[in-house]
Amino acid sequence: MSADACVGIVANPASGRDIRRLVAGASVFGNADKAGMVFRLLAGLGAAGVERALMLPAGDGLSPTLRRQLDRRIGEAPFPALEELDVRLTSTAADTTRAVELMCARGVDAIAVLGGDGTHRVVAKACGDVPICALSTGTNNVFPEMREATVAGIATGLVATGRGGEHALVREAALVVERDGAPPDLALVDVAVTRDRFVGARALWRHEALRELFVAFADPGAVGLSSVAAQLAPMARGGGRGLHVRLAHDAANAEAVVQVALAPGLVTQVAVAGFAPLEPGERVALAPGAGTLALDGEREIERRGDDRATVHLADGPRRIDVDAVMRDAAAANATQMQPAAG
Amino acid sequence: MSAVAPPASGELTKDELLEAYRVMRTIREFEERLHTEFATGEIPGFVHLYAGEEAIAAGVCSHLGPDDYVASTHRGHGHSIAKGCDVAAMMAEIYGKREGICHGKGGSMHIADLSKGMLGANGIVGGGPPLVCGVGLTAKVKGSDQVAVSFTGDGGSNQGTFLESLNLAAAWHLPVVFVVENNGYAESTSPNFHQNGVDLIKRADGFGLPGISVDGFDFFAVHEAAGEAIARARSGGGASLIECKGMRYFGHFEGDQQTYRAPGEVDELRRTRDCLAAFSRRVTEAGLVDDADLAAIDAAVAQVIDDAVAQAKAGDDPTPDEVLTDVYLSY
Repeated sequence: MSADACVGIVANPASGRDIRRLVAGASVFGNADKAGMVFRLLAGLGAAGVERALMLPAGDGLSPTLRRQLDRRIGEAPFPALEELDVRLTSTAADTTRAVELMCARGVDAIAVLGGDGTHRVVAKACGDVPICALSTGTNNVFPEMREATVAGIATGLVATGRGGEHALVREAALVVERDGAPPDLALVDVAVTRDRFVGARALWRHEALRELFVAFADPGAVGLSSVAAQLAPMARGGGRGLHVRLAHDAANAEAVVQVALAPGLVTQVAVAGFAPLEPGERVALAPGAGTLALDGEREIERRGDDRATVHLADGPRRIDVDAVMRDAAAANATQMQPAAG
Repeated sequence: MSAVAPPASGELTKDELLEAYRVMRTIREFEERLHTEFATGEIPGFVHLYAGEEAIAAGVCSHLGPDDYVASTHRGHGHSIAKGCDVAAMMAEIYGKREGICHGKGGSMHIADLSKGMLGANGIVGGGPPLVCGVGLTAKVKGSDQVAVSFTGDGGSNQGTFLESLNLAAAWHLPVVFVVENNGYAESTSPNFHQNGVDLIKRADGFGLPGISVDGFDFFAVHEAAGEAIARARSGGGASLIECKGMRYFGHFEGDQQTYRAPGEVDELRRTRDCLAAFSRRVTEAGLVDDADLAAIDAAVAQVIDDAVAQAKAGDDPTPDEVLTDVYLSY
């Protein structure tokens, strides 16, 4: 067990409250709930022997609520010493980027992320090969898992202390977007090319606005844009291949029409003009046209009609497989607990 | 007005984009000029300036017609301009002149024009939400498709009036939208010191209302969110809450020393979070509007504000025998 293990924590106070609460049936994930998740995560990390945690201070009640919970904690269970990073909050994704850069510079052993696909995307852009524990705070996510933070904390703590086992880390894929005159960007689940001229309220829920869709994987059990691809050709997570889907203007010109859950509470029919696998190393040029690019379900980039851009698959972040870590830990413990022979 | 889905933000026409810019630029010029003029001591009473938050008023009110209602706050100039109040009459009102929009007897915090659906700026913190429940109930009983929008600050969101209004609007399914302008300071106090964790969206959720949060510096984000919320209210879908995160460029009131703000905070805001600069860059880069179009609006707005100030200064004071007129309004 490595001494003085340190884990970074990113909890996004802005997740779980976008426009899909208005235009679809998405539920609200409160920031007091997220503070509770961080508290339980810390309990798990402490139980696994993690001594220090670095956290992005989070607005909208998250950090103050967490501090109150920690101040009033009873009992003697070990908790990591929590240090809030010195980041002046802007309430934008730049806060997360800056925090992850600081965590990596401080040599954290792992980063636990609480948020949606968008939050994980921002962390993945900055975390390099530092393992991430991906926890969902919402109902519209594909990349992170909805699971109990205490257990996730134990698993992350085992990884951080060098006891994660040989199956602990999974290499995720990423979709890299390259544009003329702009730094490359990435998505962990999907890249959507839309007709919306402006980023607006960010979330993408109008299928009429879609031109093209790229997915790094496609799970038929998922909600959101990638479910369109999944209804055409499911692509296993970590399978190395993605899918490129072209949408049709209307059902009359469609090769297929699929019915998908595009957002919580929003089931809609989407007309598809064609689709093809996205192979490793293959670089696909986006069809020209003014609009926005949505990365992991959020409009991010405003694009002129003459902007050129390509999408290709690449290696993404290393994710902690909580179930695998806990299985290996259980197996190791079971061995230790067997009565001595003889 | 009919219950139609709002257009996607990308479908704004050039004229609509220019009108949004004109509204935001007018608010900015109005407030910057008041900041200068107030320092001369010529303006009676208090003024609370809205500069920095223009995208919120413009983004919300662009979806409202003259038959729709707005109830504002003590920081009400931006909402009044965006709802179509006459700028010269507003300026005269702030100068306390008979030519003012309320004949010079209301001042900055009581600018109102019922003919424009502007129920009034309001010196009572949290005073707007109950008013929109009232007009919302009227619209519902009459079967009209009018919508009422209240503006409240982060401090106002702690008031009983605000929370009671969320409850009434939810219980009665009123065509109301609650916009919370969360600018980070209740007068001079951060939410960290007056709330056990501010989570406005969860508060709306607690009353069974949908709540969403958007960037209040981004016209397009506010416009899209407000479009959905207002269309929902107009078509019988009931009330909702929109939190717009923004910051003001000036103090709580003119004369506020702002010792509660970090050194350089306002300079940084003006440099990095300017709704007008961001709007201009995006619409010109998209090729939808020319720099010359925007420059023409800048020049026209500057003239409007110059004229408004000149007229206000040249206006007449109300006389003592007018003190008892306009006290009560007969509907």
